[in-house]
Amino acid sequence: MTNNLIISGRGLCRYYRRGSETVKALDGVDIDVRAGESVCVLGPSGSGKTTLINLLSALDAPTAGTLTIDGRRVDGLAERELVNIRRGTLGYVFQQFHLIPTLTVAENVALPLLFLGRTADSGELTRVLEAVGLSERATHLPRELSGGQMQRVAIGRALIARPRVLIADEPTGNLDRQTGDAVFELFLNAVRRDGVALVLTTHNLTLAARCDRTVTLADGRVTPDA
Amino acid sequence: MNYQEFAWKNLTRRPVRTLLTAGGVALAVAVAVSLGGFNLGYKRAIAGSIEQLGFQIMVMAKGCPYEAATMMLKGGTGLLYLPEEAHAQMKSDPDIEAITPIFIGIAEKQGSSISDEAPSASSFSIVSGVDVASFQVMKPWLTFKRGAGYDGGRWFAPSATNELVMGFEAAEYEQRKVGDTFYMSVTPNGKIDAELHAFQVVGVLERSGSQDDGTVFLPLRTAQRLFGREEMLTIIGIKLREFNGIRMREFEGRWLKIPEVQVVSLEQVKGALVSLVGTAQTMVAAVAVIAVIVAVIGVINAILMSVYERIGEIGIMKAVGASGAQVFRLVWTETLLLCLAGAAAGCLLAAVGSGVTDAALRHLLNIGVSQSLVRITPGLLCGAITGALALGLLAGVWPARRAASLRPVEAIRSNE
Repeated sequence: MTNNLIISGRGLCRYYRRGSETVKALDGVDIDVRAGESVCVLGPSGSGKTTLINLLSALDAPTAGTLTIDGRRVDGLAERELVNIRRGTLGYVFQQFHLIPTLTVAENVALPLLFLGRTADSGELTRVLEAVGLSERATHLPRELSGGQMQRVAIGRALIARPRVLIADEPTGNLDRQTGDAVFELFLNAVRRDGVALVLTTHNLTLAARCDRTVTLADGRVTPDA
Repeated sequence: MNYQEFAWKNLTRRPVRTLLTAGGVALAVAVAVSLGGFNLGYKRAIAGSIEQLGFQIMVMAKGCPYEAATMMLKGGTGLLYLPEEAHAQMKSDPDIEAITPIFIGIAEKQGSSISDEAPSASSFSIVSGVDVASFQVMKPWLTFKRGAGYDGGRWFAPSATNELVMGFEAAEYEQRKVGDTFYMSVTPNGKIDAELHAFQVVGVLERSGSQDDGTVFLPLRTAQRLFGREEMLTIIGIKLREFNGIRMREFEGRWLKIPEVQVVSLEQVKGALVSLVGTAQTMVAAVAVIAVIVAVIGVINAILMSVYERIGEIGIMKAVGASGAQVFRLVWTETLLLCLAGAAAGCLLAAVGSGVTDAALRHLLNIGVSQSLVRITPGLLCGAITGALALGLLAGVWPARRAASLRPVEAIRSNE
């Protein structure tokens, strides 16, 4: 299993200054994620889930600790270097979907390829759209979609560049139970089919139970029962 | 999808704002192109119109030479007259290649087929009394119109008393052809009542693009007699064998001895008119510069607003792999497209509206040149578009840098 280690965080800290006070959003978290593994991060609001997710997805840099993603140390890297880690390695899905409203479903899905300097070949795009069940909606704009469909587009966008890690911050938080289940199934399919690692946060314990492993945070630390 | 398509879609998100901003750019470019066209056109127009007078030197009664020259260009009266004797004295000058005496007067048209309204400026005809033999030497390009109703056109005999030749536009306006009768009322010098005269049109000139097009030509003696100014001239047109500053000064020195006469080089007139227009040009250039500055500020404002509205989206783009340089490129492309669209519209506006601009400048400057004052060339349009793109590049730097420097986490959080 050690050979499959794709994310390794040791003593991860993320502190913020709020006036004269230092807020310890994350305070010494150790975490390992392996390829083909699904890890669910649980915890109450304010426990540091999103902060941890932001560090693991190279959107933010830790204040202290070491973080290795796909064999590369990312702690201490500048934003322009973090971009190179994100590209192609990480796929990110947000609770709020965050689609570009002027782009069609197909264009939203293919967006990461634009930044990789590639154009999506039709087979690649078709594969992803079929995988997320949106083949019939390729030319629709986000405003013409339901919440579940928008989240499928976001998942397609995360998968198009064939990432090694899929990171999702409360991806079913804005969806009804049935739609949430269906969307969650897409994540698990990606893990099973493509061997990607999945790290997600959720409040839904039922969905968390379907993951290989859970990590529970409280006050910025991993709780002992994790 | 490429960056251009993506940028265009972003611009169409706020169509009214994009249209207004592009409109500002279009207006600035239209003003700049019109100014450039004016710059290219007016010198040529002045030179062309003066060239079509056919002579290099005017001899006229003392007064403001530039006013007189302008009146000549516009086809108006010279206001002052000089004795014909001056012509007789000058024509023996060895430096003269050609010399022609011209008498100009204004007659009231009678029974105009166009308008029967009360007398107005359009009810008058500019009458030019010419000596055909020397006038043709001075203006060899003048030819007679051919075709049905115009065939057989010719100059009048020097002693003819009831024949005239019409310029192209004068004949068109009055709907006269060869063989028709044309009536004019002239008030002779020293008399109160106008006298009605009937003339037969013996020829209609082809269009020359000069003041001659709107003129009615009579034999010199007939015109002088009609206006009660026998042995008087309005100007004497002269072409020298060798025309340069030295020859001109020598010539001027020889003939300034005639009282009440001044010698004016058309090069001087050209210089004075160019200088007069130069002042107006500076004013228009100042307006153009202000328009460009306002347009640039408008572009910066629009793109900056667009960036602030999309901070969250920019964060998402960075999260899915966009580098700062790529975000910069996208925002810069939006700015360039906006400026390109505005510049294209501005060029179109300037090209389509060049006639209006020409008429407005003509009215403003009133220098009486016959050719177009505004000359819009492909090179000028290319230059304007290149300039607009260069300004777009500058205008886009700040908003694009602002967008590129956003940290993804903070940008995404701002959207939630």
